Amino acid sequence: MAAFHDLSLQERLLLTFEAEEFLYREASLLDERRLDEWLELVTDDIHYWMPIRRTTTAKEVALEFTQPGGMAFFDDDRKMLGLRVQRLAAGRAWAEDPPSRTRRLVTNIRITEIDGDEITVTANFQLYRTRLDSEEDTWIGRREDLLRRVGGELKLARRHIFLEQTVILAQNMSNLF
Amino acid sequence: MAGSLIATDTTPWFDAEHGTLDRRIFTDPEIYQRELERIFARAWNFICHESQLPERGSFFKNFIGEDEVIAVRDRNHEIQVLLNSCPHRGNTVCRAELGKLNSFLCSYHGWNFDLDGTLIGMPGEEKFYYDDVDKSEWGLAKAAQVANYRGFVFATLDPAAPPLEDYLGWVGRLGIDMMAAEGELQVLDGIQKNRLQCNWKLAVDNLYDWYHVKITHGSAMRIGFLSEESMAPDSQMVILGEYGHGISGPRVTQAEIADFAARLENGQGEGQWYDTLLTRARARPEVQAQLGPIGSRSLGHPNIFPNLWITLTRQMCLRIPRGPFATELWWFTIVPKDLPEKERATAIYMANHAFGPAGLLEQDDGENWSHSTRGAKGTVTRTRRLNYSMGRGHDRVEEDDSGQARIETVVSEHAQRWNYQSWQEWMQAESWPALMENHSQPPKGVV
Repeated sequence: MAAFHDLSLQERLLLTFEAEEFLYREASLLDERRLDEWLELVTDDIHYWMPIRRTTTAKEVALEFTQPGGMAFFDDDRKMLGLRVQRLAAGRAWAEDPPSRTRRLVTNIRITEIDGDEITVTANFQLYRTRLDSEEDTWIGRREDLLRRVGGELKLARRHIFLEQTVILAQNMSNLF
Repeated sequence: MAGSLIATDTTPWFDAEHGTLDRRIFTDPEIYQRELERIFARAWNFICHESQLPERGSFFKNFIGEDEVIAVRDRNHEIQVLLNSCPHRGNTVCRAELGKLNSFLCSYHGWNFDLDGTLIGMPGEEKFYYDDVDKSEWGLAKAAQVANYRGFVFATLDPAAPPLEDYLGWVGRLGIDMMAAEGELQVLDGIQKNRLQCNWKLAVDNLYDWYHVKITHGSAMRIGFLSEESMAPDSQMVILGEYGHGISGPRVTQAEIADFAARLENGQGEGQWYDTLLTRARARPEVQAQLGPIGSRSLGHPNIFPNLWITLTRQMCLRIPRGPFATELWWFTIVPKDLPEKERATAIYMANHAFGPAGLLEQDDGENWSHSTRGAKGTVTRTRRLNYSMGRGHDRVEEDDSGQARIETVVSEHAQRWNYQSWQEWMQAESWPALMENHSQPPKGVV
């Protein structure tokens, strides 16, 4: 495992640029509802996870998030992500018919770790969703992604999503983050 | 019914004779206010399960209507339900939603309350108050009554409420027994919460609704997440209870339970639609003895009036009102402590993927309810009554030696009709004594 900051400026620049390009491209696929193409960017062993967040006292802030293996909003493998994508194409997926309109802003992208073909990337995001005539939802949070180089291409091998909301102030989360 | 709340003619909000409903009950702010007073402030409300409060000082925050309450394990290991409001200026004394504390210290002026709500002291007690304050009188207000049925903690704000077990009646108790009969239960860490823009009653209405499944959840069936046969079986059983409780869901025969048990035992035979809905425990004689011969054959779907739904998938959903146009759904996942690891993992898998805001089923529900609410805002639209007639006059309540009266039928709206009829009686009654005197017993004969 190499510390990212041990690399030269040029190496860090190239790697960060590559990660950024990947994250912007997949965000764009999701915004454009090209979910089948998005699915091709994830590995077979992906863990796509969004824990439940709770309001705790400052002293007990360690209890803020639920832990892996327990209750969560998302706890998906490749098969479950595939089902989500299939569902939207199956008809009678009313939460997305008419389709919502989404826009993803991805920012503060930082590589935190490198391990062989894998890099850990943390990024902040804002996901804006509007629906029908007047519904609006906004989610802001942080993602911690594991990107893996497979056959020269980066793929998403892990995505852990940490929202700032405790009570989800939306009627559903029919979209991907 | 009095004053401006009356419908345009003399038709009551819910017309039991014709099975129609005045949709203004979903939007009228006066009706909503009366619900808070006459239903939520009066009923026994589910607060938490005792497993959520393992130690002295463990607390969990919840709501009774719009009254915020703290459930806490006190120094004597008793569960207290306290109003989260300092008697000095009304500030909340507990801001975290769960955790563990030694006392409740108000962040405004420092009034400090013990775990049972007793006022311990405040800054300046002697110098500014001259010891004038009788601390025994100025603690946190407590729920009028707190009681525990098989680990499920309920509270009422009304001292005149009957005892919890009487309130639940055999139907409410049966609903809880369906979970509790399996053994000592535990709420898993992590309650999914989200807020919908719908009236709370439309969420409750839906739990009895086996008619919407094939349409609303059509996409989840098409991708094979769950089979059509298991998600919307035609074989249904409706059990109606005093004060508005009900159970309405799929039914099986004793032969089917025996067949299920035999296949679990020897792993042979064809899979059946009920396999994903039955639990291993349902085949055990001691569990059947607790549920009774009829209760054993109901796969469940109770509502503990007013707003606690128990699902078929080891979850409970509390529907908390947030004004006439908003409702929070809180999903508790609850499993036997000694559930084998594989079944426990299945329960978590289902809980994380079927319900909750990202659930493959639940995603498609919310907009139906919010648009049903929105439709009741139109000046003229809201004067058009809704049709709750399905199955009316075509079924019969069956009674036998078991004492477990039930309707065995296909998909119907019997339970919704009973829910609104009971709701109406709660709304008409001025007090618990009035409600006890003027409420319907569950119907008999042709329904």
